[in-house]
Amino acid sequence: MKHGRDDRSFEFDPGPLIRPFAVTRGRAGKDLHQLDIITLVVAVRPEADVAGLDREYGDILRMCQGRPLSVAEISAKLGLLLAAVKVLVSDLINSGHLIYRSPPPPTSGRPDIKLLQAVLDGVRNL
Amino acid sequence: MAFETSDPTAGSPGLTGVRAVKLLVAGGFGVGKTTLVTAVSEIKPLRTEERLSAIGAGVDDLTGVERKTTTTVALDFGRITINQDVVLYLFGTPGQDRFWFMWRELSVGALGAVVLADTRRLDDSFGSIDFFESREIPFIVAVNCFDGAEVYDEEEVRLALDLEAHVPVQLCDVRDRDSSKRVLVRLLEHLMTVATAGATASRW
Repeated sequence: MKHGRDDRSFEFDPGPLIRPFAVTRGRAGKDLHQLDIITLVVAVRPEADVAGLDREYGDILRMCQGRPLSVAEISAKLGLLLAAVKVLVSDLINSGHLIYRSPPPPTSGRPDIKLLQAVLDGVRNL
Repeated sequence: MAFETSDPTAGSPGLTGVRAVKLLVAGGFGVGKTTLVTAVSEIKPLRTEERLSAIGAGVDDLTGVERKTTTTVALDFGRITINQDVVLYLFGTPGQDRFWFMWRELSVGALGAVVLADTRRLDDSFGSIDFFESREIPFIVAVNCFDGAEVYDEEEVRLALDLEAHVPVQLCDVRDRDSSKRVLVRLLEHLMTVATAGATASRW
């Protein structure tokens, strides 16, 4: 993706309006892990030391302690765009702080009947 | 790199076996998508935003503007923990036509969809129906019966929307939790039927 206009956004603190892009240091394109909106991530170490990490990294690690959260939930809780959260989460996967599980790739016309049954049972029991 | 292909089922007790699935709730603007999600979600529906990228060129509505060169689109979603292994996410898809590129990302891997229709504005449903039909994503049509709206029966709706015979139509009131729940149950039963038929057909 082209973000020529972002180049200057991390040279200074431009304030809250541009911060969602500044936190990714202008990177927005490549989702190294093909993160999906419902990819689940969880902190590798329950008591991750977030000191020394940038604020947004620390926030993500804290909210992913002991229970998996989706990229969508992290985005909503942080108030950051999905694209920005995917970059930050990718960084934390690369640094070994998070592990992830993406939804299975679209199957070639083979829905998982056991999975569907489980979801149906779960919704019936709501 | 170590986690590029990390087996997500190994390494962290918190993630063993857990998987996420999604269903979509589509329909025209103001038809009650978020209300339906709210009725059944275990969490207060969350709102996430995605940027309209190059595909949004020509978009003139600056809802949720970051900067004047960037436009975002909001997406409301809820969550239902099915059991310790499965988490279900429900996404209310943006209603406006020009946000369909979001649907493409959203629709990848979706189990199925609810097209929520308002009998006063049935035309608003055609876009969603065409989209799911063309992508072969199984769906049902749920007719939200607003107060004061003329009540049609399922067959009238089916005819008006030119639905194929196998697509279920269900009347509902999305403000009511049980009614919304029944919509999801109907969808999942339909998905089971489609999946079972597909499994049988592929065995020839």
